[in-house]
Amino acid sequence: MRDAGHFDARPGFDPDDGDPVLSEIGDDYDMPTDVDASFRTLRRVAAGHFLVFLGVVVAVPVLTLTVDWWSAGRLIGGMSPSFVMAAFGLYLFFFALSAAAATLSNAVEERMLGEQEREPAEHHGDPA
Amino acid sequence: MSTATVVALAVLLLGLAGLALVTRPRGASTLEFYLAGRQVGVVTNACAICGDYFSAASFLGVAAAVYASGLDGIWYATGFAAGFVPVLLFVAAPLRRFGEFSIPDFLGRRLDSDRVRLISVTVVQLIILSYLVPQAVGSGITWELLVGQGIAGLTPYATGVVVSTVAITALVVLGGMRGTTWTQAVQFLLLLSAFVWLAVVVLASGFSYPDAVADLTAEPLANPTQVDGEWRLEADASRLDPDHSSYFGQPGGRYGPLGQLTLIVTLVMGTAGLPHIMNRYFTSPTGTAARMTTVWVLGFAGVFYALAVLLGTAARSLISKAVPEQPWLAELTVDGVLRVPEHAPLVLGRIFGGEAGLGFVAIGALIAVLSTIAGLLLASAASWGHDVYERHINPRATQQQAVRAGRVAVVVVAVLSAGFALGLRPDSLTALFPSIVATMVTWAFALAGSALAPVFILAIWWRGITAHGAGAGMITGAVTAIGMFAAGTTIGDRGAGELLLTPTIIAAPLAVAVTVVVSLRTRPPADLDRLWLKLHGTAADRRAVRLARLTIAGVAEKGGKR
Repeated sequence: MRDAGHFDARPGFDPDDGDPVLSEIGDDYDMPTDVDASFRTLRRVAAGHFLVFLGVVVAVPVLTLTVDWWSAGRLIGGMSPSFVMAAFGLYLFFFALSAAAATLSNAVEERMLGEQEREPAEHHGDPA
Repeated sequence: MSTATVVALAVLLLGLAGLALVTRPRGASTLEFYLAGRQVGVVTNACAICGDYFSAASFLGVAAAVYASGLDGIWYATGFAAGFVPVLLFVAAPLRRFGEFSIPDFLGRRLDSDRVRLISVTVVQLIILSYLVPQAVGSGITWELLVGQGIAGLTPYATGVVVSTVAITALVVLGGMRGTTWTQAVQFLLLLSAFVWLAVVVLASGFSYPDAVADLTAEPLANPTQVDGEWRLEADASRLDPDHSSYFGQPGGRYGPLGQLTLIVTLVMGTAGLPHIMNRYFTSPTGTAARMTTVWVLGFAGVFYALAVLLGTAARSLISKAVPEQPWLAELTVDGVLRVPEHAPLVLGRIFGGEAGLGFVAIGALIAVLSTIAGLLLASAASWGHDVYERHINPRATQQQAVRAGRVAVVVVAVLSAGFALGLRPDSLTALFPSIVATMVTWAFALAGSALAPVFILAIWWRGITAHGAGAGMITGAVTAIGMFAAGTTIGDRGAGELLLTPTIIAAPLAVAVTVVVSLRTRPPADLDRLWLKLHGTAADRRAVRLARLTIAGVAEKGGKR
């Protein structure tokens, strides 16, 4: 009988489709408490990055309506700050934001999940 | 069209057919046919997603929107690219970890409900059809300009629609997801190279981007309009200040005070609900790979859309100057301005590269259309074949029967979309919607962002969502979005029409509210804890990585012994 606290997730195994096949290389499983903690941290990471994204995306039309310089000023040749932001700036921002969010999310999962499978030496340094 | 272009087009199609044949699914398995065995690498999948996503709306429509409306036209590109940020933050990794075949399959399993599955199949099919029709229209427009002649008594436009539909249907039926993945990745690299080549020759000719924006902004923006059968240029009034004209480098060419925001919200939310894009995430080997794939997509999208905006600006600046020396432009332009803005990149190609240049860019446009049609047809096949046929019509179907059902679905949906496209005449709609291809794709985004994305994201991040809540939310979002843009088409895209034609900013919050209220009154699935571990745990990822390392080590060891 499967331990209720463990979630088996081997390739080809779907908990909806019946019992899993036996693993040949050791078990990989997640503890519900670990997943819950990681989920909450990732939710904070996603929501935080989304708020930054939303703030910048909404700021552009708001600046258009409220700050004359934003649409009529000149930043590069004949390009206004609004044009530069729309033509290049926002793409760089999206890429930088997504790379940062992905790196942080991967690090959170790496740190918070799969702890029980690691060798003690991986955590505390090899005594030798 | 030159002989070289015909040969290039034929070689390309044969090459893609060869690629699809070589990489076709081995054996009749639905996992192979729909998901390429879940073994598509990060960069390959990013290229394939870009090939899937950068449709006629991106290749022709973004440059056309910039050409027709200047700064305000850029917001299409911004919205298309921005859509992948929420996908990365909220969808990519957990969706892949849950590991189903399609959005309806995901929602059906997550909420343990066949009813939810069937509602989402209906919404998915509506989105796919709304997205397919403008792709077919784009292929008709491109053929019209590239070849200019029909086959078997068809008009050039109709020939383009029929040829592209037949060619890509054959590739998808033959190659399944594995073949389509590789052809889409190659197609993306080809269409990116068309843009890069065009940008290089335009800049090498002495074109100055900042100076062109300054020059274009010095004069009011004017576009061709047909009045009593006569074409003439009419200055566009600013939508921010109707007493004044609009200018290329300033806001107001296309959107009023609310329009820019409603468009961005529609495109951003819509991306997370596009079935052909979300299905690609199921082909990644792990959730982490799906997440990193999205980072690559955002990088590629930034380069691609920045080039599209540059080319739209270059076309506006250079085509009018080229009219005196290029007599063939006379029938395409009115006082130096193109009648159909979607012709902008194609005309630039011909100005700078002659017939070969036109052929190269037109092949890029056809590729953009074909690769997106391929993704949409596969998503449709997965939805009909897997979610309807396998789950409801014939639950005991063999793998061969299920794959055959998917192939039949591909053919039926392709014929249906070509039929709709043949019933449309894009130049008759240009007066109402300056960039008809991009506008029509926006409708698909509106439906996806209003009906699917809110429920989809709640299903990933909120334990309290229930089948009843999701069903009610999807129906509310779909009915609101369809109702609003049906009303919008009757009043045009000004004033309240801006909000009605990009309705997600209203429809999505309404869908969320209904989903939450109904869910709070009903019960979530009984085995929620197990589903949650599947969705947010990484055990399957870790095992896949470990297996891959062992396989590599085994291969290396074998090689060392030899």
